[in-house]
Amino acid sequence: MNKIWENIFRFRKRTDDEIDTILLKIPVFQELNKRELNKIKRILHQREYSRDEKIFHEGDIGLGMYIIVAGDVQIVSGPDQILAELCGGDFFGELSLLDDAPRSAAAVAKTPCVTLSFFKPELLDLLNRDPQLGCKILFKLAWVIGERLKSTNEQLRVISCQKQPGSTSEI
Amino acid sequence: MSIPGNSSNFLTIVLVLIAVAGIVAFLAFIPNIVKLVIISVLLAYILDPLANLLESRGMSRTTATIMIFIFIVFFVSIAYIGLLPLFAAQISGLQEGFNPERAGLVISRFEEFLMPYLSFLGIKELNLLGRTQTAMASAGEWVINHVLDAASIVTSMILIPFIVFFLLKDGREFKKGFVSLVPNRYFEFTLYLFYKLHAQVGNYLRGQFIDAIIVGTMTVFALWVIGVKYFFLIGIFAGLANLIPYFGPIAGAVLALIVSILQTGSLEKVFYVILAFTIIKLLDDAVVQPVVVARSVHMHPLTVLLAVLIGGKLFGILGMLLSVPVVGFIKVVVHEGILNYRRYRTA
Repeated sequence: MNKIWENIFRFRKRTDDEIDTILLKIPVFQELNKRELNKIKRILHQREYSRDEKIFHEGDIGLGMYIIVAGDVQIVSGPDQILAELCGGDFFGELSLLDDAPRSAAAVAKTPCVTLSFFKPELLDLLNRDPQLGCKILFKLAWVIGERLKSTNEQLRVISCQKQPGSTSEI
Repeated sequence: MSIPGNSSNFLTIVLVLIAVAGIVAFLAFIPNIVKLVIISVLLAYILDPLANLLESRGMSRTTATIMIFIFIVFFVSIAYIGLLPLFAAQISGLQEGFNPERAGLVISRFEEFLMPYLSFLGIKELNLLGRTQTAMASAGEWVINHVLDAASIVTSMILIPFIVFFLLKDGREFKKGFVSLVPNRYFEFTLYLFYKLHAQVGNYLRGQFIDAIIVGTMTVFALWVIGVKYFFLIGIFAGLANLIPYFGPIAGAVLALIVSILQTGSLEKVFYVILAFTIIKLLDDAVVQPVVVARSVHMHPLTVLLAVLIGGKLFGILGMLLSVPVVGFIKVVVHEGILNYRRYRTA
């Protein structure tokens, strides 16, 4: 009988540990301690998607970010333009935590996958209940978006350089 | 041709409607339990920001909920000790104060005063005394049946705090559990609806509750200054009645007018009572409501009026109280549903 319980708890512990490991890889949650991480885990929604199932559609009202626990996800714009391919430990849709704009691309499960989702209502509620933790997350979120902006600027710079042969940056 | 898709959509809609009808029919069989749950949900909703505030001071949700209950017990005890003598005096005064002969005399005099002004309408007899006696008798019967039913009081006193405690403590888990049952396709949309409902209906309920307390306090004070008897009871009634749009404030004022006329046997305080209620209403509309009910459910006055009338007709006073938040709830669901219908249909 004890072994059964041991196995049940081992399974649960392992799942919890796996989720902790994944969350701590996400920049938004990287600097959280154990207590804070547990608080976050309580407000995350775990969902399972089958192969080719849409996680969200282009133009949907975006409510928050998704973290891939297992499986692969494609970010698709229009009917078939693949913008990115993501795997376990990656995250997407974080901009929706801050703005109310519709989703700029769709997310499709390429393989059966499990995701954790973190939504704006929960973030706002957290800011209300635990402002210190809420601010930590908002600060890291701003950092992530800043990094993405820098990366986009860099890509734009490269593209504009490629379009202007003989420009100084090409030398 | 998309007939298979359409028929499948049609089947889904029919199944959902059957399920909703089944749930409504089931709930209709247990109206008392539904009432208890609705009241508990409202109280939990009103207390939720307080629990959040305590949580933000470093308490766990459970400790915050226990603290709120300790505070409520403490507050009710203080109120019970402090206000009971006044409350009891006013209740017994109410029983003795309405001397039937004196009331009859006043009402007859009032009828005589009114008749010359109403004769052009062809009214020969108002029978105000008979009507008042019938109204008093039915009001008494209603109070005995609904308010003073000992069994229901005991059940409510135990069940409501019990339900409120767990809704307050585990409300988020209940919501998460419910959302986990929603299919992936509608999952984010359901959360979005919850978010919208929480923002619109929740703020409306909390705002109205605070507004009722402020209006009740102002009424108690104003009637005490004017010298109207039973000012405390009328103030409580006016505060609660204020939760019902349009009809509520009038009901409070009419009660105060009747009491003032019966008390003095003349119309000497009528002007002051009307003035007090007018000032309270103006203050409520111009100062209190914009501050405490700032983000209310935006609805056309005609919609509100019809909602209150239908709610009152179907479910009595509770229906009148809940009509606006319920219509606000339906409005958000329908509005967001229509906005997103095409997207989910083509998905």
